[in-house]
Amino acid sequence: MPTPSATFRAGFRESLPITLGYFPIGISFGIAAARAGLSPLEAVFVSAVIYAGAAQFLALALLTGGAPVIVSALSVLAMNLRHVLYGPAILEAAKERAATRFSWLWGGWLSDGAFGAAIVGVSRSKENFSERWMLGLGIGPYFSWAAGTGTGAIFGGGAVEDFPAVDAALGFLLPALFLAMLLAVLSRKQLAVIIASVIVTIPASLVFSTTVGIVAGMIAGSLVGLVRIRGLER
Amino acid sequence: MNADLVIITLIVGIGTWVFRVLPTKIDLTAGRPGGPVSRFLAATGPAAIAALFAVSFLPMLEPDMTVLAPVAIGIAATVAGFAFRRDVALATVFGAIAYGLAYALIAM
Repeated sequence: MPTPSATFRAGFRESLPITLGYFPIGISFGIAAARAGLSPLEAVFVSAVIYAGAAQFLALALLTGGAPVIVSALSVLAMNLRHVLYGPAILEAAKERAATRFSWLWGGWLSDGAFGAAIVGVSRSKENFSERWMLGLGIGPYFSWAAGTGTGAIFGGGAVEDFPAVDAALGFLLPALFLAMLLAVLSRKQLAVIIASVIVTIPASLVFSTTVGIVAGMIAGSLVGLVRIRGLER
Repeated sequence: MNADLVIITLIVGIGTWVFRVLPTKIDLTAGRPGGPVSRFLAATGPAAIAALFAVSFLPMLEPDMTVLAPVAIGIAATVAGFAFRRDVALATVFGAIAYGLAYALIAM
């Protein structure tokens, strides 16, 4: 039995900011897909099957650039390699409450945002974790992303172009979300991990790419987590 | 539907699903609670969130006060919103509204 804090509804509530934030980004992917010549159905198909923002934009660029199919597919897949750590990191945070019977279902919805929301929720209390909670957490952002894609592909950018302040506010949703998540997991114990990750992410993103920056930052921060720093352990 | 699009989408979609699901089926920390793998994974969450935070703000940082001021106001509102209720959703909405208002005021 899930605890009251680990229900499907609680998971859905936990990921509401991601659900909100994914819709406008989904719209921008839909617009890009329409401009690349994809029909609304094709655009939604890509979002529903791949469900990984940056990877989808790269897939579009490679498709329209005429790159060979297998090369394109492998290049895009390489971008998503960082996701291999997401499930184990959540299960590690959930400790003895970890369960994976239905991870074939909720695991597929572990986007960057859903993963962040799960870590924030489980860090608050591992009692929050259950597979129902993970399902509730994953479903909103997934359908919001697909709906946003469809909206963008069908209507284009016209809906928000007339309201630049609204457009700007929507564009700030995800940065604000990641900042709020960072504040939620910020603790004395994780301070060195967070600093190391940011210090490595910024130059790696500027010199190479955003994906390389994220992966390098994640690995650097995780490696710092291996080292027990006296005085920061509590 | 374009055949190349379908093939790329299916390969990437299935591959990404495998990346996300398969590691949950492998108990990486079996027998070593508090061991190196366990500590590495415990730090992965905060490290990933920190990396995502950094890359989401990086494109917004330009040496132009009309760009930086709304960002600074948005950050301040997000932090204040979080300090108020320790609620991620509330802080996010606070930050986005403040950013939008600051953007509108500066554009006027």
